[in-house]
Amino acid sequence: MTLHVRGLSAERSGQIILHPTNVDFKPGERVGLVGASGSGKSTLGHELVDALRTQGASVAHVPQSPDEALDPLRSMAFHWREAEKALGLALDNERREMLFNALRIEKGDLRKRPWGWSRGMQQRFVTAMALIGVPDLLVMDEPTSALDPVVAAGTMDLLEDYLKDRQTALLLITHDLGLAARRVSRLMVMEAGRIVEDAPTQQFLASPKTRAAKALCAHRNWLELPC
Amino acid sequence: MLTVDNISVRRGVSTTLQEVSFSLDPGRTLAVVGESGAGKSTLINAILGLVQCSVGSVSWNGAPVSQCRPALVMQEPRAAFNPRLSLRRSVMEPVVAQNLAVGSDRLATLCRALEVQPDLLDRRPDQVSIGQAQRMGILRALIAAPPLVLFDEPLSALDAVTQKHTARLIADMQEQEGFAALIVTHDLGYAAAFADEIAVLRAGRIEEIATAQSFVEAPQTEYGRMLRDAAFALGALERVA
Repeated sequence: MTLHVRGLSAERSGQIILHPTNVDFKPGERVGLVGASGSGKSTLGHELVDALRTQGASVAHVPQSPDEALDPLRSMAFHWREAEKALGLALDNERREMLFNALRIEKGDLRKRPWGWSRGMQQRFVTAMALIGVPDLLVMDEPTSALDPVVAAGTMDLLEDYLKDRQTALLLITHDLGLAARRVSRLMVMEAGRIVEDAPTQQFLASPKTRAAKALCAHRNWLELPC
Repeated sequence: MLTVDNISVRRGVSTTLQEVSFSLDPGRTLAVVGESGAGKSTLINAILGLVQCSVGSVSWNGAPVSQCRPALVMQEPRAAFNPRLSLRRSVMEPVVAQNLAVGSDRLATLCRALEVQPDLLDRRPDQVSIGQAQRMGILRALIAAPPLVLFDEPLSALDAVTQKHTARLIADMQEQEGFAALIVTHDLGYAAAFADEIAVLRAGRIEEIATAQSFVEAPQTEYGRMLRDAAFALGALERVA
């Protein structure tokens, strides 16, 4: 279903860190949210998750580091069961196998604790957990920055394959325009707590309008830096 | 010249570096890339003498590296400073420790070159932005004019625009000061744009070492190709049609 959120905002210690913001997602749409550190990307992500859940939409959130999602003292099986219970779903080994196969973690030992798995496998496990409930929206906050490039690229490729032809929309939050440009069809740019630009990816890359968007485009590629 | 001659480092029963050899001339930049656990940080520690090599040697112009007083820029800019001290005091520590006569003009010159506002030096690390803190980390590394500077993931805590700006400042400083730079990074885009040579480290061994351009165009090992292709897939490198 199409998701609409109106008037998202946030403040901390009397300071507005997210100005009133409207966001829409079409089913299956891939959207990137880019901007500098401190521009409000993660805040928007969190507020969006809360607002959509309040509306009754199904939203999953994958944090930057698997450490934020996994309890080091609990087995991977425990985490999986908890996620199914939280969604009110019965245990379903077939569903788990399907997701594990899609994200290539089928060889992971569920009896182990998170640290018994590699970082890349942990992040794929968290991503698989996020997909259990077939969410309307999957929010991924800097999903590659804690991973090695080889593992990060593999995880994004597997996720892309899985989401292809599915109705789950994706919000990819990143400071890296190079990453977002390859993965999404629409880009939103944040600066100082506001979305200052929102355009289809190709149009955005061809003619960025705002200062923040121009800076991101100018610094997109290491080999073509402005002097 | 930095000479790393066939060094191995053992930790307990495992070997974290195996038969690593390379050299690095003043004014040149070597980027060391590889996955987590490949031994990149161990290599830095071995060069600095913070871990003992079981075999092999590390030298600067034939003498122990410690004599050239190498400097280190760390990954987490704020955590790299004592949180209780002013940044000015931390930045001047190498000068005090080496009992050097460094005038205020050197500090002012470096502040200008690294775009550090001098009044921010009187703040503590948590009172400046991450980008400012990292520029101060570079300032501290360069204040005593070392001939060798080691950078351990110097940009990974910064956002994309700040990363590229800081990389440019490091390159400009290297041109002015002429130090040899060894940069550990997982960002092949950064390595390709700013390093003269790229060394691929895997499981403690250097799998290949090549000029940046030839590595990007044609890696010689399967793992090198995987790294290069991952950088393409993540948008860190652009394919040249």
